[in-house]
Order: sequence, then C-alpha cells, then structure tokens
Amino acid sequence: MAFLAGPWKGGGPLDLSALMVVVPTKQSGRRLREAIAGYAATQGQAAFPPRVLTPDRLIASDATGSEASPLESLLAWAEVFRGLELEEFRSVFPIDPPERNFAWAVRLAQGFARLQGSLAEAGLRLSDVPAKAGADFPEAERWRQIAELERRHTRELASRNLREAQAAKIERAAAPVLPEGIQGIVMLGTPDPLPLALRALAVHAQSVPVEVAVFAPEADAAAFDAWGRPLAETWTTRPFALREFEQRVQLCADPAAQAERVIAVARGYGGSDPGVLGAGVADSEVLPLLEAGLRHAGLAGFNPEGRACHGDGFYQLLAALAGLARDDSFAAVETLARCPDFLEFLPARGNAEVSAAGSLAALDEMRARHLPPDLAAARRHAPGSAALAAVAELRATLVAGVFPENAAAALRLVFGARKFDLARPADALAAESAKAWTEVMRETKEAAAVFGNISNAEWWDVALRLYGELQHSDDKPAGAIELQGWLELLWEDAPHLVVTGLNDGSVPEAVVGDPFLPESLRERLGLKTNAARFTRDAYLLQALAACREQGGRLDLLLGKTSVAGDPLRPSRLLLRCADAELPRRIKFLFSAVESARPNPPWRRAWQLQVPEATLPSRVAVTALRAWLDCPFRFYLSRVLRMEPVDPGKTELDALDFGTLCHAALEAMGNERALRDCTDAAVLREFLLNTLDATAARRFGRELTLPLIVQLESARQRLSRAAEVQAQTRADGWVIEWVEKKFVLDVGGLVVSGKIDRIDRHERTGAIRVLDYKTSDKPAQPWETHLRPARRDETAPEFARFLHRERETVWGDLQLPVYLRAIAAEFPGETECGYFNLPKASTETGIARWDEYTRELAESAWRCAEGVAAAIRAREFWPPNEKVRPEYDDFAALFHHGVAESVAGKERVR
Amino acid sequence: MTTVGHVMILASAGSGKTYALTNRFVRLLALGAKPERIVALTFTRKAAGEFFDEILNKLARAASEPGYAAQLAGEIGVPAFGAADFLKLLRAVADAMHRLRLGTFDGFFARVARNFPLELGLAGEFEILQEHAARMERGRVLQRLFGRAGELAGAQREFIEAFKRATFGADEKRLGAQLDRFIDEHQEIFLAAPGRDHWGNPARIWREGWEGLKAAAQLAPAAQALRAALADVALSAGQRARWDAFFADLAGWSPGAPMGAALNYLFGNALKAWPGLAEIMVERKKHALPAVAGDALRRLLQAIIGAEFGRRLEMTRGIYAVLNGYEAVYHDAVRRAGKLTFGDVQRLLAPGEDGARTLSREAAEGNRLFIDFRLDAEIDHWLLDEFQDTSFGQWSVLKNLIDEAVQDAAGARSFFYVGDVKQSVFAWRGGDPRLFREIFNHYNDARPGIIAEEHLLKSWRSGPPVVAMVNAVFRAAPAIGELFPGEASAAWNREWRDHESARPQLGGHAALLHAADEDARFATALKLLHEIEPLERGLTCALLVQKNNTAAELAEYLRREGGVPAVAESDLHVCVDNPLGTALLALVKAAAHPGDTLAHGHLRMTPLGDLLVAEGLAEPERLTRRLLGQIHAEGFERTMDFWLRRLEPRLAADDAFSRARGRQFIAAAGLFDATASRGIAEFIQFMESYTVRDAEAAAVVRVMTIHKAKGLGFDVVILPDLEGTKLDARRKGLAVQRAPDRSVEWVLDLPDRLFAEQDTVLAAHLRAAEADACYENLSLLYVAMTRAKRAMYVITKPPGKSASRNFPKLLAEALGGESATVRVGKQEFAGAFSEGDADWHTRIAPPTPEVRGAPEIGRLDPATVGKSQRLPSRQPSDEKTGLLGGAQLFALTGGGSAAADFGDALHRLFAEVEWASDPAMEKIAALWSGCGVAGEEALACLRAPELAGVWTRPEGATEAEVWRERAFEVVLDGAWVTGVFDRVVVERDGKGIARRATVFDFKTDRIGDEREVAATVLRYAGQLNLYRKVAAVLLELKREAVTCELVLAKMHRRVVVPVTGSR
Ligand code: SF4
Repeated sequence: MAFLAGPWKGGGPLDLSALMVVVPTKQSGRRLREAIAGYAATQGQAAFPPRVLTPDRLIASDATGSEASPLESLLAWAEVFRGLELEEFRSVFPIDPPERNFAWAVRLAQGFARLQGSLAEAGLRLSDVPAKAGADFPEAERWRQIAELERRHTRELASRNLREAQAAKIERAAAPVLPEGIQGIVMLGTPDPLPLALRALAVHAQSVPVEVAVFAPEADAAAFDAWGRPLAETWTTRPFALREFEQRVQLCADPAAQAERVIAVARGYGGSDPGVLGAGVADSEVLPLLEAGLRHAGLAGFNPEGRACHGDGFYQLLAALAGLARDDSFAAVETLARCPDFLEFLPARGNAEVSAAGSLAALDEMRARHLPPDLAAARRHAPGSAALAAVAELRATLVAGVFPENAAAALRLVFGARKFDLARPADALAAESAKAWTEVMRETKEAAAVFGNISNAEWWDVALRLYGELQHSDDKPAGAIELQGWLELLWEDAPHLVVTGLNDGSVPEAVVGDPFLPESLRERLGLKTNAARFTRDAYLLQALAACREQGGRLDLLLGKTSVAGDPLRPSRLLLRCADAELPRRIKFLFSAVESARPNPPWRRAWQLQVPEATLPSRVAVTALRAWLDCPFRFYLSRVLRMEPVDPGKTELDALDFGTLCHAALEAMGNERALRDCTDAAVLREFLLNTLDATAARRFGRELTLPLIVQLESARQRLSRAAEVQAQTRADGWVIEWVEKKFVLDVGGLVVSGKIDRIDRHERTGAIRVLDYKTSDKPAQPWETHLRPARRDETAPEFARFLHRERETVWGDLQLPVYLRAIAAEFPGETECGYFNLPKASTETGIARWDEYTRELAESAWRCAEGVAAAIRAREFWPPNEKVRPEYDDFAALFHHGVAESVAGKERVR
Repeated sequence: MTTVGHVMILASAGSGKTYALTNRFVRLLALGAKPERIVALTFTRKAAGEFFDEILNKLARAASEPGYAAQLAGEIGVPAFGAADFLKLLRAVADAMHRLRLGTFDGFFARVARNFPLELGLAGEFEILQEHAARMERGRVLQRLFGRAGELAGAQREFIEAFKRATFGADEKRLGAQLDRFIDEHQEIFLAAPGRDHWGNPARIWREGWEGLKAAAQLAPAAQALRAALADVALSAGQRARWDAFFADLAGWSPGAPMGAALNYLFGNALKAWPGLAEIMVERKKHALPAVAGDALRRLLQAIIGAEFGRRLEMTRGIYAVLNGYEAVYHDAVRRAGKLTFGDVQRLLAPGEDGARTLSREAAEGNRLFIDFRLDAEIDHWLLDEFQDTSFGQWSVLKNLIDEAVQDAAGARSFFYVGDVKQSVFAWRGGDPRLFREIFNHYNDARPGIIAEEHLLKSWRSGPPVVAMVNAVFRAAPAIGELFPGEASAAWNREWRDHESARPQLGGHAALLHAADEDARFATALKLLHEIEPLERGLTCALLVQKNNTAAELAEYLRREGGVPAVAESDLHVCVDNPLGTALLALVKAAAHPGDTLAHGHLRMTPLGDLLVAEGLAEPERLTRRLLGQIHAEGFERTMDFWLRRLEPRLAADDAFSRARGRQFIAAAGLFDATASRGIAEFIQFMESYTVRDAEAAAVVRVMTIHKAKGLGFDVVILPDLEGTKLDARRKGLAVQRAPDRSVEWVLDLPDRLFAEQDTVLAAHLRAAEADACYENLSLLYVAMTRAKRAMYVITKPPGKSASRNFPKLLAEALGGESATVRVGKQEFAGAFSEGDADWHTRIAPPTPEVRGAPEIGRLDPATVGKSQRLPSRQPSDEKTGLLGGAQLFALTGGGSAAADFGDALHRLFAEVEWASDPAMEKIAALWSGCGVAGEEALACLRAPELAGVWTRPEGATEAEVWRERAFEVVLDGAWVTGVFDRVVVERDGKGIARRATVFDFKTDRIGDEREVAATVLRYAGQLNLYRKVAAVLLELKREAVTCELVLAKMHRRVVVPVTGSR
C-alpha cells in the first residue's frame, strides 16, 4: 500500500486516479480498493482510487457492435459444422458421428471456441499452429484442416458483418488504447499474467511508465522475470520451507474430513474474530462440503466466486418453461406446476381462490385416474381446471412466434402482476436473475437476427446454457469466513490461513486430457503449460508461508481420496525438500489414514406418536381381510385413512386393472339378452366393446404405451372369459345378479359390500356366488381364505381353528360373508368360488370352493364377529411383522420392527 | 538398458500379488525405465491407491535403510543397487508423480477416450455416469417411452408387438417393472450383440438346419394318432387314467406354459424310452408300445419339443426388439448428450471388426489412435493386476498396445500380468479367466519362452492349519473330478498346486463344523465368537456369506442375540434406514403432493408434526407454498439442512447415530442438487436408492459377501453360509453362445432342461455353461477359504444322503462326512474336520489400547495477531429501494434494462461537460445531436434554463472545480463505501481551500407528476446523503457545506435533497 501511496501523508484526499493498477483477479482488485480506503482512513481521509483492472480487461472489447459476441461466434462454428463435408476433413473427423444434428454441432462448437480462446491467450490463431509447431510434429495435417475450419468460421461471421472476437482481441493487444488521464501503470502481485496482456502493456510502456511489483522479499528480486513471473529455474528447485512441517500439514481421509477440520478451527475462533482466519479451497470438491458444514455449524461462510445460475430457482422455472415449449407432455405440465412462480401466477390470472395445494393434489389425482399423455388430454378430463388453463395459455404463448420474443411474452404473463420490492433481498435477487436472463434473451435476439434455421427448442437449449453458466454473487454476510480459490490466496492477508486440497492436480494445478492441445504441443506453442503452473504454484505456496513466518500460521490439508473414492496424491510441492529428507516426507505424506468418523450403532431417533381417530361408521368387506392381515396397518389405512400418492405412476395398478375388467363383466351380466348367450363370439365382442368404451371414457383416445399393452392384456383375458362364460351357461348356470350390493350387521359392525355375481342353475336351482379375480396367477378360494398357522402365530384365537387336524388361520372372509349376506334371500344350498381371469389364458375358469362345509361357514362367522368386535373395541394390535417392505405401503414408517417403531400403543388398543 | 522380459505370474491367494507387482515396478525403474512410461492397471480405485502408496513407501524405506535396500535389490534382481540408488529412484518417481499411470482399467480407458472424442464419434467432452446417475437416466428414458402417446405411435406399435412376442401372451400387467427387469437382465447382452440376426435365429443356432416348426405342426394329428393307437393297447386302469390325464393336459398346454403334472410325467418317461419307444414306464410298470403308437408318440414328442423351441426363438426375438426400442431412445437421449457409462466408453474403444480405432504407438497408420502424442505418453511397460477378472472387452482394447510391447524387437518394452484363475468369481460381469492361458499360449506358441511363467504358492496370509484345510479340499482331485465330471474339474485340477504357509509361527486352527439349518448355523457362529472373543483379543474377524441380505440378517442376528458389534458391509440406504430420514422425505412428499395423506399422517406422528405447527405450516396450503418455495430458491441441501437444524434439539442429546444419518442425508441432498435437478420425484427416488458403504470401523465383526471379501484377509474367518444348490447350475437368463474369439454367435431364451437336453446343440451349450458355473463356484469356495490368517471355521449341514452336488457335499467328500466332536477352546461342536490348535486363541494376549486423539488444527491468539481488516461494504446504490413491475423486467426493447442503457448513455454524455460556457461545448453539442435519442435529451438538458445552474460556474467562487464520473473509496462509520459521483462542483477560496460543494446526481427515469417527484426524492435521499458525507470527508468540509441536488433529466428539474441524519 505504502508503495502505491508513495509520499502521500494525508491532507487532502489520497488521489491515485491517474494510476492504472493491474491485479490478477477481480477479487484481488476488490481487496486492493478496500485496502486503499483503509489506508486513506488512517489519515481520516478518503481516496480517489486508481483504475483497477485484471490483465484480460487490458485487451477487452470496447463493445463496438461489429465484434461477434461469444454466442454469435458459437453459432457460427455450429453453422460451419452443420454444413461440412466430413470427407474433406478426415484428419479431424476420422469417422462420421452417429447423427449430425444441432446439438452435436453446438457441442463441437463449444470445443472449438474454447480452443480458440486458449490459443488467443498467447496471441495465436488456429491457423498459426502448423507453422508455430514446426514441420516435424505428428498432427500437422489435422491442424491444417483445423485452420481451414477456422477460415470458414471467420467467413461465416464476415458474411454477417461480424468480426471474429479472438482475432480482434489480438489486434487490440498490438495497439491498445490508454484511457485518458492515466499517467502510470503498475502491475501488482500478478504471477502469471495473460501473455497477450503483456503485449499490450509492453506497448503502453512506450508512452507511460509501467512498474511491476511482486509479493516477495527484496532479496528474491532475481527470482522473477521482468514481468514479475517466477522463474522456473529458481522455484522448481527451491525446497519448500515450512516450520513444523508435520504439524502444519495434515493428511485427511477425504474432502469431508478436510472440511470438518476447517470447521473445527473456525468454531474455535467462534466466528467472533473475523479477519484472523482465512480459508483457501484448492480442491473444488471441498467447497460445497465446507459451505454446508459452516452453515450447519451456524457459522457464516462466503464464497466470493458466487454461485452458478443453474443452481437458482429462476433457472428451474426457465427449464420448466423450456420443457413446456419442447412438448406439452403431462410430465412437463407437472414440473411447471410445481414452480412457486407458477403457483403465484394462478391467482393472478383472476381466479383468486385457486389454492396451490388444491391444484397440485388435483394434478396427482388426474395422473392416478386418467394417466393423461399430454396437456390436451388432461384438459379434456378437467375442462374447468384453472391450473391447466394457465399452462395451456403459457404453452400457446411459448409456441407462438419465435424465440426469444415468445419466451419473454410467457415470462411477462407469469410475472405480469408481480411487483418486485428491491428492498426485499428475495425480490432483489429475483429481479437480478430476471435482468440477467433478459440480457441473455437480448443477446440471442441479436444472434437470431443473423443466424437462421434454429428451432425454438434449440434456442432454449442454447440460451439456458448461457444463463446457467452466469455467476450470481451474493453479498458477504458480516463476519463471514471467505472461502477463496487457490489463486486468490496471495492477496489474503488473514494471519491464520488454512488451505484445503493440497493434492497434486489441484496444487500444482494440472490440465490433462485436452484432445487438441497436449502438453507437448502447448510447449511448442508457448501456451501455459503444467510445468509453468508448477512454477507459479511453487512460488505462491512459498509466499503464503513466508508472509506468515512472524506471528502468522499456515495450515495445509490434503485428502487421501476424492468424494467418489478415487485415490488422491499429495501435492508435489510438499515433496520439494532436500533429498535426505525425502524418505521421511514420503512416509509421512503417504501413510494410511482410517476415516476419522466412527459409525455409531443404529439407534431410533423417535417412536411414532399414533393419533386417535374415530372409527368409520361402516366398513367394506375387504376391511375384514385387512384387519386379519395386520390390525395396525388396518388402523392406519382404514381409520386414519393414510394413503400414498404415486407421482411416477405410468400405468394401471392391479386395482385399476381389475376395475376395468369388472366393468365389462358387470355390463355383460346386466345385459339381459346376453344372460342366455352361449356363443362365445357374441360375448367376446360385447365384452371387448364395453372394455374399449370404458377405457375411452377413462383414458381418452390417446393412450400411453403401457396402457395400450395393459388393455391388450385385459382384452385377452376377457376374450378367454367369454369362452368360459359361454361354457358355464351351456352347463346350465344363469347369471341372476351382478354387483349385488348388501349391508350386513356383523356383531354390531356395519359391513357393506358388492357381490360381483350370483348364478342360479337352471335345472337344480342351485345358487352360486362368484367373485371375479384378475390376479396374474389363478386364485383358489381355500388358499386365499385359509392359511396354515405360523410357528409364532400372532393371530387372535377367534381366527384360528383346526381344519383337517391342522391348526389353520382365516386370512380372508370375503366369500363366507357374501354367503351370509344372501342367506336370507337365497335359503338352501349355495356354492361359492372365483371366476379367474389370470395371466395365462389357459388357466382362465371358475374355481369352486368345493369343501366349503357348514363347519367352515360357522368358523368363518365366528371369526368375522371376532374381527368386528375387535375393531369396535379398538383392538389394532399387535402388528404383522412379516410384511415384506416392497409390499408394504407403510414401510417408510417402520424401522427394525413395526411394534418397536410405534409409541403409545395403548391408544390403538 | 537390459531387457526386462515378459512375465505371467499365477499367484495363489495371499501369496503377495501386490508385493510382486510393486517389486516389478521397482525393478523396471532400477533397469532405467522412466516412471511415466510404465502403466499399471487394476480393478478397484482402492487397490490402485494402495499400490501407489506401497511403491513409494517401499522406495522410501529402501532409501533410508541400507539393510532393506540390500534385500529389495536382491528381490528385484539388481543386486548392485544400494540405498543411494533407491533414493534417486524415489526422487524420480516423486517428481514424475503427476505423470504416473497407475489406476483402474475404467479410468485409463476414460482418459484415452477424452483424448480422442472426434475419432470415436463423440461431439466433445463427455461425463461419466455413476450408478445413481445411470439409474436416474434410465428412469427418465422409461418415462419418455411411457409418457408420450401419438408422437412415437409407429415405434410404439412395433414395441408392443415386440413386447407381446417377448412375453408371449402370458402378459405382464406391470410393464414398467417388467421392462426394468428386462434391461437389468439383458442390456449387457444386447450391447454385446446389437445385431438383430443374432437373436433367436435358428439358422445361426442349428447350422445344419432345423425342422422344429415342421414337427410342431404335427402336434394335433400326432396326438390323435397316439390316442387311437393306445385304444387297443392293454393298460391297467391306473395307466389308462394316466394317459387320459396326459391328453387332458396336452389339450390345455401351450408352448412355454408350464406342463401339467401328467403331461410332464409321461413326457419325461417317454424321453427315457427314447429313441426306441418300444415300451414305456407308466405307474411303475412298463407297458409295450406297438409300432404305430411308438411312432405317433415319437412325432408327438418332436412336435412338443419343436413347438417349445419355436416359441423360445420367437420370445428371444421379442426380447431383442424390446431392448432395441429402449436402447434407441436411451442412446439418443443419454449417450448422445455426452453421458457415458464406463461400459460405454470401453465399447467405444473396442477396435471393432475393421480394426478401426486401434490404440497404437505407431504414428503412421491411418485409422489408428496414436496415443504417444495425445496422451503425452510413451508407454513401454504394462503391468496388469487381477488378470483373471479382466474381460475380453478390456483386453481387446489393450491388445494391440501390448502386442507392440511384446513384439518390440529391441526388447525395451515389457508385459507383466498377474492374477489367480482360482479366484475368478467375477465371470458374471465379464471376467474371463481363460484369457490367462490363451494369451500366454498365443505369444509363446509364436516364440517359445517369450513370456516366462511363475507360480506363487507360499501364502503370506494364512497359517499352516488354514492352508492344510485348503489343500485338503482342493487337492481332492478325484472327489472334485467325480462330483463335477468333465471340463470344469479338469480345468481346475490342471491349474491346482498345493499351497504352503510362509508363516508357520502363526499357528491357528481350521475346522469344519456341522449344524442342521440356518438358525443352527447362525447360533454356532455366535457360539464361536463368544468363545474366541476376537475383538477383545485385538483380532480382526469376518463372517462371509453368499448374499447381501444374508449378511444383513446375520449381522442383525449377532447384534440382537449376542450383543456382538457386527457390521454388515453391504451398502447402507442411509437416507431411509432410519426414522429421521424417512420423516424428512415425508416432509418433501407432503409438500409436493398435498394429496398424499400417508406422508401427511406420517409427519404428524413425528416431531416434525409439532415443528410444522410451531412454524404455522400445519395447513397443507402453507406447507406446500413454503417448502416448494424454499426448495426452488435454495435447493434441497439447504432446505433439508434448515429443517434438520430445527429438528436436532428434539433428538436425544446422546443420539450420535441419528445426527450422523442427518449429516449423510444432507450430503446426499447436496449430491442431488449437483445434478441441477429440482424434480421432487427424482429427489425422492435418488434419496431412497442412495447408499454408502459403511466406513471400515475398527473393532467390529465384519459380515460381508465372499465377493466383497476378495483381496482382504482377517485373523478369524467364519463361513456359516455355504449351503445352496448344485454348484454347476447354469446361471439363469438368456443363453449366449460365443465363438472362440468371444464374438456372440447366437442368443436364445433357453427352454427348460428337459427340452434342451433333447437337442445336441443346446445340450452342448448347457454342458459348457454348467462347466463354467461349476468353475466359478469352486473359485468362490476357494476365495472364501483363503481369507483367514489364523483361524477358519466352516459351518455346513451334515451332508446326509442329500445327493445335490453343493458345497457341503464337496466338503464332506474332501474332509469326511462323519460327525465327531470338534473342540474350540472350552466349547464343543459337532464337526467333521479339525486341524491345528483348538486353544490357539487363548494364547493371544489382548493388546494394550493405544489412545489417539483426532488431529486438531492449532489456533492463533486473536489478541496478539494483527487482524486483516474486513469491513462490511456498502455502495450508495445499495441505498436504492423501489418497486419494479414484473412485466417491465422482461422487456426486450425499451423499459427495464433498456431504460438502464439509456441512462448510462446520458450519464456518459453529461460526463463530457465541464462548463456549458467553455468554447469546446459547441463541438461537443454538435457531436451529440449526431447520437440519437440520448443525444437529443442531453442537449435539451444542457440548453434548459432550469438546469443552467448545473453547468455554469457558481458566481462568487474565485476557483471552481468539477468532478465528473469520479470514483471514490472511503471508510465511513466502520463501513467501506465505494461509489461514483455523477458531478460535483467544488468552490475554493484563494488559498485553494474548499469552501462549499454541490453534488449533482442525474436521474433519468420517467417521472410524471409532483407526487412522483416527492417519492423519488424520498427514494434517493439515503444515497445522496451518503454522497454528502463522502464529499465532506474528501474536501474536509462540514456536511452543511455540501449541497445535494437530484437532477431529473426528463423533467429538467433540480431538487435539493435535505440533510438527513446518517440514513
Ligand atoms: S454411443 Fe452415443 S455418444 Fe457414443 S458414439 Fe454412439 S451416438 Fe455417439
């Protein structure tokens, strides 16, 4: 600071406005200005700051219109690739890609744009490479072709009156303009300035004095070149000196472990002393863990980098709109509907009363019932839905006209009625995002003016990517610990600095796997090489240590593995030591670390507090079975009425499937004319027609794939059922009743139900109760109703009985209750059984319950009364521990035993 | 440099594979190889890491201990080498660390692919899909396949036809589940054989043609003929009944459907009588078959078989078409978007028939991938680990490079591979143990002796008793040969060599114990643990089982019944295996799906219930708005963390477990956020399927599958789960017939054994498949039995007369089946074999527990150090408040940010004005009129009489100075303030001392009436008073001496802003 201020001793403002100061990064610039303000303050004064900028700004565009924006450059590349005859470029594209679409072209374009960028850093164009690299290098032909590609790129731009930006930049560097009023330039603590920027500085040096200042002891002057860049000779060989090396350097298991140590020390400082502790994050994997950890520990952390926009909420809304613009699938609708901005838009559309919860529930209901493929289908099912209407309006807007106008229009719709109060941080942030996106839209609009044949969807993709890559910087909370990248640390003046991620590849930074510029070529071209990065980082590390020799402290953390578990290696910088020391260093840095975190034994956080609820006034027959299955789950499902939603539902579930088939069969039964029909063909036709009609009513004409398959299946089952029905009629059985409703008092409990079908035999007059079953395997009544007692049977007494000398338990009471229910109406012999429509059509048929004896009937009734009594007595215990989780709707509630998971059993007892 | 030679090492379990590998590496270095010119590949990242550490530590030790240096020098066959030389190597390796190529096959391939995207038809960079991500992508593809109607109608039709063929009418109601299974089971096969014509193609299966369909057509007639012919055969009533039942079943039978009992029975018996069919066994009595009947029966059988095969072929083609439909979408949506699995990468690199895209070090050849330049890698030496697990695919990628190395005339390059065919337990995921020999023969046939063969048989892991038991079982060539006749046992016995223990002093105990059923086996295991008390004695201990869920059950059992700290090392579903996690998920579900009464009910039963009430979110409406808003704005990690923090006080103070799970939950949520998805359903799915491997905590009994135990060693190993069916049962699933070069010849959904046996081709395939299965299972047993260092206890049920050829049977054959008493310490067990010292454990003293505190970072004393100054920063513009209309935010032209542009333009122009009076103004004005609206406006302002005062020198001031667009930095009331003045007029006296100043701030927004003027002034008051203070500081004036004026450009109005206290 003193160096900049020079003789100034207060008395009038500290005026540096005639000075231009070059610093390595934005953040360091900020640091400098803060320091200047502080310095002036020491004299009770203020300052006119110098013009502070980063090297790349030295040659940045002066925003003259003719220069191609990055987007335009990208699209120009895409144009080049789309129209390319690959045969002429076999050294670049040895084989044809599977498909040459826009997406392919854009992804290529990004690669080439990046390539241009990295060459431009050294003032090179693609076409310079062959010459620069020398004749002897292996991929000469490839690069000749790449050069040709670049020529075409330039042409594409030229044909649109655009200048290629990188080229322009290089020209600017040759003849930079000095802002008026600048009388001197200082480059401050910038160990690896952009080579191209140095060209510009060199030119400036002819008109104004240019000084270069580095952070290093006077004695080391010789260790840097004229531009303040550390010299390889010196820094790659010089041992890294750090006192108490083995205390200061810590090997941690993984990023999480590193984060934890930083958080521990931060906690130690209690956040009370901002400015004592600084944290450096050289390995990007540590950053999120560190941020989350600090937040969780109630400490503030601040990442000056800011956050990429694709993490923010507004991006999600845009993505949802893009989805809707692409197609109006119901999934796209659901996604959009869950965007808060959309939910706020609903009432704004003049239906003030629509509730968010209501709309979402309705959508889920819609999916569950109708499985609509798209918006149109959904609207046919619910013409009145405000939410769907709103989506439809947006969809219409999005597909009308061209991008970005239609996108902007849609957004104006959504936000039209909203006011953003800039005083509210949330609103301010939203407004900021909106501005950023609008900028993107403008950019695309300009580009769209000159680049044709790009579809809306493609524009959306491009624009979204642009926006997603932007950075939000939130303001720094008071007392927050700054989490800075490796290159910022030189400017960090906190006395205690903890740096994480000192692993090779992060420090020294290494770039590998560039398909165009391998290290060897970079060397030939004079681009930044990993070797150069090594030198730079060797110097940086030493500098960080050196300036904390007195009264300061530098801690270095490194990880053994990455988050994904890949092994990491210690930074080579830490191995810069006298050979004699090396073995010890190696042993220290390559020792094994067992993960510090022990895993505590499983333990229950809490037991569920089951609320009380009043019993339903009447229950369905199926309830009896449910209770027998598991009294407690009965309580949850039938008394508390807890029911899941399956948001991923894409096809009929077993129940839907059954209902569909039932509907057809019921209709058949109701059709008096068909009751005597023995012609399978006729029956089949009727059944299938009814099925189609029902399906159409419920699902509309457009069916999704699984539905088509499932209906196909239903069709097959019904066809076969028709034959069976024809046969049964031929055997003399006539349908007497279908879907016969009944209400039955079982020991004081009202049980209601519907009997699928009752047949009467035309000759014997015998009565037969049938229930349709559509399970994949044919069901046998005795198997579904009875089961052998388990070794540790928990079923209550009334459910057990001796059946053929075997301890047997009632699992279901459906048919017995049916029989009981109709006993009065049809006295005398009644049989019962299932009409199976299983998976294998050969197994379709009627399964009679032959041995349904009087004893069974009595035992069953005893059981039914028992269940009824239990329900009325609120006996919902013990639960069935044997239900397999994958078949248990309530699995999420239970861990390590159902009974164990629940408190307050007395309430359900 | 001296040639290093090529070596194949067959290293038995525990014989120090890694040791050999690292020695090889050091040897290469010692012979002058550059570290970066050596590639060493293995399978797990962990192994790769350890490998690297071991090399460095080895060198470090040799560099610092002359004694060890000498030993190592001897081992690597460079006796001249001393500590100093090793130090040089160490330095060389350390410096080249970043260029070393030690890693996994996957990693290496991915790296190569990254360097050749265009050559591989990729559009650029790609990302590797890990397990979770891949699942998610599949989900999306299925959704896409299922969600849409109309659009892909054509494809759809086809797909459905395929699906019907694949499942043959025996439809499946849950298409989703079915397809998911399909993909799991068949995708790999599909990708290996994407050609339609490999699937269910009789021409490929039966080279000499196939009559099946013709035969099938005979079904009905043949049945009739047989019925007729049987009419006049003398049969007992029982036999007659059987035949009737047979015909009844037959009528109901359709190909592929399970056969009815009677059909099955007679079908089987008939096949026994095949091909003569002169008589047949029915009801335990043979009855004769007249020629007609025999012939009819023959045709009938052929018909049935033909029909069955026909259907299988059909199904196979169906399966293909279904996969094909799925793959088409997946490929388009996922791979082309640059998301590849490791498998994809490997397939991309596979040279292919045309030999295109062959990795090579010869630059010349056209269609090849010249790696030296792109990878900055000149690879001379190859070290391949665990070679028995190498898949043919992996090999074929490397083959050419290794060819070049082996054939290198100068002998300057080398190839070294090590592994143990006896441990090939990963055949099911491509591991191809046969390669081991094939490669050896391939090269040695060409040039005998070019690859040296070495065997490592000394076990550095196991003590004599364990080794003895291993030998006893696997040396039992006759037993094995007899149990598993044919290639399986032959291959095994060929490679078998007796092991010996390199650590006789280790002692120990090995025994085979008997227990009736699973419960008894578990109980026995527990009894052993209580007797041996491994943890108390500081011994590591593992129980190895065959299946993950068995591991979980067993661990649970040991904890529950025995209080043993056992950890199942299966992957833990940390987000849902505990109440906290599922409650948090319920919170999200409830918010996103207000109709989910289950989730809502669930919440109410947990502390979250009260919490929501306390936060006023009991109402679904509020909950939905609040939570969705939160997730939307901040992502899942922050949101979940917010709620977790509120929940924490309600957890028991000492509940470390739930807190740990909480952290894991948040971490998982973070990972999901990183996928940039905010999909609620996807989040739930992700969290439910998210797993972590339990950290290997010390002092626990580890329960894991044998597969997971591969490569590990424990003091005590218990094997309580070796029961099971035939060892040579072929893996179920599609039959894939491969040519010697491993290319797929045909794929078929193999009919049941009964049928397959009847066909020479399929029977042959069956036998081969069974041989492989058998070999893999022997390997599994071998791996299981070679994990123990000191003691091993195998617990199986006594073989009895059960004939099934399973592990217990084999063990009984080899170790004896007679139950006797086996003593372990004070306990007695029923068992058949015992070797070594039954009291071994009693001789082991418990270790003295060493205390290690978790490392901490020391702190500075804040009092003594100079802090770096950190001030909260403020900018006058922050003081701005105001309302922005939603609509104007998104204006593409005018308004919104367009207004801002206009404002900037105007400001720029104003900055050019010093005094309106000075002559230069004429020129400037001229220029302005040139530059559009802004220019006009600016000019107007300049000329406007109301604003004259802004541009003219204040009279009375001897000296006046103007600041234009002047930036400042200042510290005010402890805050760092940064800003820019639009225009300041400073009046100085004769001595140049500032007397007073006026700060002008230009506002260009449209302002209509007086009310808005007032509002504006109000809005900017804060900002201007801040300017006032700054100016005061800069000029060392009293604040009162500084006037602040808003200049409303549009209205040509000047408004003085009154002094207010600091904001
Ligand atoms: S798999 Fe996909 S990404 Fe890879 S080459 Fe084929 S099309 Fe391109």
